[in-house]
Amino acid sequence: MRSVAVDGTDALDESLTEAVVDLVLRGMWRGRPESEYRPLVDAGLAMVKGPMVLPTERAKETGARILRVGAGTGQEQQITAAYRAFLPVNRRLREVCTAWQCRPDGTPNDHSDLAYDAQVREALEDVHEAIQPVLRRLERALAGSGQYLTALEEALDRFDDGGTEWLASPLCDSYHTVWMRLHQELLLVLGVSRAQDEALEEELLAGDRG
Amino acid sequence: MSVTDRGAGPLARADAAVHPAPPETPGRVLVPYGQGRIRGLDAGELGAHGAAMDRLVALGLPVVPGLTVPAGASASLCEPGTARAAVELVEQVSGRRVGDAGRPLLLRLSAGAPTEIAGLPPDLACLGVTPDNAEALCAVIGREEALYEAWAASVRMIAEYALDVPGAPLDDALLDTPAPRARVEALLALVARHGSQPFPDDPAQQLALAARALLARWDTPRARRSRRAQRLPADLALALYVQALRIGPADHSGYGTAVSRHPETGRFSPQGSFFRGVRRSAPPPHTGEPLDRLAGGTALLEHSLLTLERHLHAPVSVDFEVRDDEIALLAASAQQRPPLRASVCLAADLAREGALGREEAVLRITPAQVQELLHPQFRLTGTEELLVRGLPASPGAAAGVIALSSERALELGADGTQVVLVAHETTPADVPGMLASAAVLTGSGGIASHAAVVARGAGRPAVCGADGLRVDRAVGTVRIGGRVLREGDAVSLDGRSGAVYAGALPVSVAGPPPDLSTLLEWADETRRLAVRVNADTAAEVDTAVALGAEGVGLCRTEHQFLGERLPLIRRVILAADPAARDEALVALERAQHEDFRALLTAVGNRPVTVRLLDAPLHEFLPAPGQALDAAEEQRAAALREANPMLGLRGVRLALLHERLYPAQAEALFAAWVDVAATGVRPALEVMVPLISLPEELAAAAAYVREAADAVAARTGVRVPYRLGTMVETPRAALLAGELAEHAEFFSFGTNDLTQLTYGFSRDDVERQVLASYQERGFLTASPFARLDPHGVGALIALAVERARSVRPGIKLGVCGEHGGDPESIAFCDGLGLDYVSCSAHRVPVARMAAAHSVLGRRHEESGSAR
Repeated sequence: MRSVAVDGTDALDESLTEAVVDLVLRGMWRGRPESEYRPLVDAGLAMVKGPMVLPTERAKETGARILRVGAGTGQEQQITAAYRAFLPVNRRLREVCTAWQCRPDGTPNDHSDLAYDAQVREALEDVHEAIQPVLRRLERALAGSGQYLTALEEALDRFDDGGTEWLASPLCDSYHTVWMRLHQELLLVLGVSRAQDEALEEELLAGDRG
Repeated sequence: MSVTDRGAGPLARADAAVHPAPPETPGRVLVPYGQGRIRGLDAGELGAHGAAMDRLVALGLPVVPGLTVPAGASASLCEPGTARAAVELVEQVSGRRVGDAGRPLLLRLSAGAPTEIAGLPPDLACLGVTPDNAEALCAVIGREEALYEAWAASVRMIAEYALDVPGAPLDDALLDTPAPRARVEALLALVARHGSQPFPDDPAQQLALAARALLARWDTPRARRSRRAQRLPADLALALYVQALRIGPADHSGYGTAVSRHPETGRFSPQGSFFRGVRRSAPPPHTGEPLDRLAGGTALLEHSLLTLERHLHAPVSVDFEVRDDEIALLAASAQQRPPLRASVCLAADLAREGALGREEAVLRITPAQVQELLHPQFRLTGTEELLVRGLPASPGAAAGVIALSSERALELGADGTQVVLVAHETTPADVPGMLASAAVLTGSGGIASHAAVVARGAGRPAVCGADGLRVDRAVGTVRIGGRVLREGDAVSLDGRSGAVYAGALPVSVAGPPPDLSTLLEWADETRRLAVRVNADTAAEVDTAVALGAEGVGLCRTEHQFLGERLPLIRRVILAADPAARDEALVALERAQHEDFRALLTAVGNRPVTVRLLDAPLHEFLPAPGQALDAAEEQRAAALREANPMLGLRGVRLALLHERLYPAQAEALFAAWVDVAATGVRPALEVMVPLISLPEELAAAAAYVREAADAVAARTGVRVPYRLGTMVETPRAALLAGELAEHAEFFSFGTNDLTQLTYGFSRDDVERQVLASYQERGFLTASPFARLDPHGVGALIALAVERARSVRPGIKLGVCGEHGGDPESIAFCDGLGLDYVSCSAHRVPVARMAAAHSVLGRRHEESGSAR
């Protein structure tokens, strides 16, 4: 394998930058043509495992470096504000996905109960209503983040068209898949670790207790 | 089902029955809780909640004071006159007044449909609060935030849906002002700036606006979509409810929910939580307290739940209010999907109390539900090493080797290795690894973590939040609990209990819980068909007897020839001379004798059907090039077949190697003599496999008879046994009459009979044909899972008839996998077979299915008699 030094983002041309960020945020590519991933593999940024293309450690570092906004900047403050508003909704979205997959007693939801599923759909609508103002604000501070609302709405449309996998399946760009990507981008943009993220989510929820 | 189901039809038209009262008597349309029936109104007008409250009052249970505005008249609550009458009526029934500082009262508005549905507008609490009286109310409650949070939610809704304030600035205000009190101020300021009128202080005007907001919300695209999704009428009318919200100190007041039964044990034991402060439709997370902290005790709650269970014959749930330590019910209904254990226990409880017949109780639990209750889990002996207990995040039990990265999981998974992906936390990069793994273990996150959502989405068992998990990817180790494990070490995890064990544990079926055992015993009293097990070893027999098997319907003796005994049978088949063959046979007989003795001891005094050897010849031959010498290689090559499943198999092999069956039968009979000496007398049934000619059966029967004679001569004991045959070829079924002359019993081998009737090779068609046939609608189920009643079933029916015409008392059973399928069991029951035999874990399912078959037929007969 040919290895290319990628010490700085300067070393990457723009198409590669976009691709590596996309791969890092998605965590994997499936079913992409070789022409798309070959340049990344050649640059030591991706590895092929069977039908999947995965980012290398170097790709993860590079992606993080490309995405990180300047510490202490006004932009970082704005994004942080949106991120803090995102976290409580993030918990609710995960609870909605859980309710969709499992009934309250822990048994798998077999989707035979229209009223139960409709109730989950209502909770999803609440989440979707709550995330929209957050994303509107984020878009003002973070270029390109508008794609998330579009992708979430597309997943929601497909879900409402009867594609039940479009809420929580990891195998398509489901609502949850897109959401995870958004979450990952926020973490990388702000340089927040998963552990800090979890602690902050707990803290914000605790603050919400009446 | 709600408390109303016994009276009203669902979704009755709402508009016809109630005529809005003339304007001069605005209070006429208001129906206090408990008075709906007297006024001739049912759930169609009162909504499910109004009718339920009626019923609670009728049962003498304590309810929160309130009133219903029936569906046909709900719009009238938007009029100030009606709203004022409503406020006055609630004040009257609750004995409090809005604005009274000492015993304060607020109002809560909610909406309801004739049945329990999703997508109703949210409840609006805190009607009657004003900027002037809020302080005093907070002082009574003793907590500030609770009131302001609920108030903010009401203002938000009323502002958007009744006062035409645009949604975006309201959202922004909520984002910018997290503190509840400041939120209310910001929202009221927005109403003052953008609203069609100022936010009123007068409680009646607030109530009228709140009613307008709820009805407007019911008319949004979102609400219409929800109605469509539930297949509800687009113009479904809502009833509105005005409830007293009695404010009291947080130490003694609040609200909560409870269900009647413990979800794990199913026993009557109220479970739930309560929240202090002002009631909200979505209580803040993590603030619930267990019911035993209710200062006033739970006696009244228990009484209410028990009364409701007896009335509804279902596990129930209630919402309740606590005011000054006293409980009043806000809502009550049968649980929509009670936990299975709760349904089982309740059915047994009701039958024991005499409220239900035992057969009715049995009918309440389906065979599929029995299966669900016996989910696979680890077979634990108590010697396992429990590494850690995390959160049960995705159900199922699995074992595999540890992979610490997606990359490694994919590599190991690619060659079929079972992998458990272990990570401290998961990111999108771990998703491919999770998909390639048999199970997932994480150190952080809970049951609603991304990892848990993904695991469930991919159908993988998962345990999350395992404390103290430390992954060191650089050296390829992970610390789980106190142990350091390497990538590639085996672990087992149970996604239902959260337990993680060292090593790869075997997975097996759980035994039935006590109340299910009771129902199964009642099912046993009802059913006609006996249930036996397909079991080859003493351990399997023990398991099956514990699960209720009445005997062994099929003991396959093939395993006695495989594994370490393979060289012996190989010597029999490939022997160069008779001496070597006889020597090998003696060794085989000795080994089988031990097997049979253990099996018969486990069987006890029950019937046991032992099938003489039925394995395709190729399983006993050495692989090409693996024979001992060139001569043996040659003999093996001569014996290889093009289609072993249809070749020298079953009785055919025994007729060529004439000492095989006698040796087996002698080992069996001698073992019986040994076991009988200990006082146990298994009812022995010796079965000959793969018969298609009556002559084959006659010849095999002679071998068995001679073996019995030989054992009798040797031991002086004449072993009682029956001789019978498998019916697994179409020809055997067609010649059932002739076979019955030699056979005292038949066992239908429905797997082979299905293969041979269709001309299907199971493995091949399951891979290539069946899915496509099911898609095209040629088949509704695999004929290997559900007995084909028209072809295979017709052959069985014909064989039954012919066999009985020759030997009326002939014993008939089924020993294919179909013996565990409820529909196939009903079919066998209908043919009047004597027993079905299935694998151990299906025995309880078969017991229940056999009872349902009897009860279902009885129901049909009484139906057609009418």
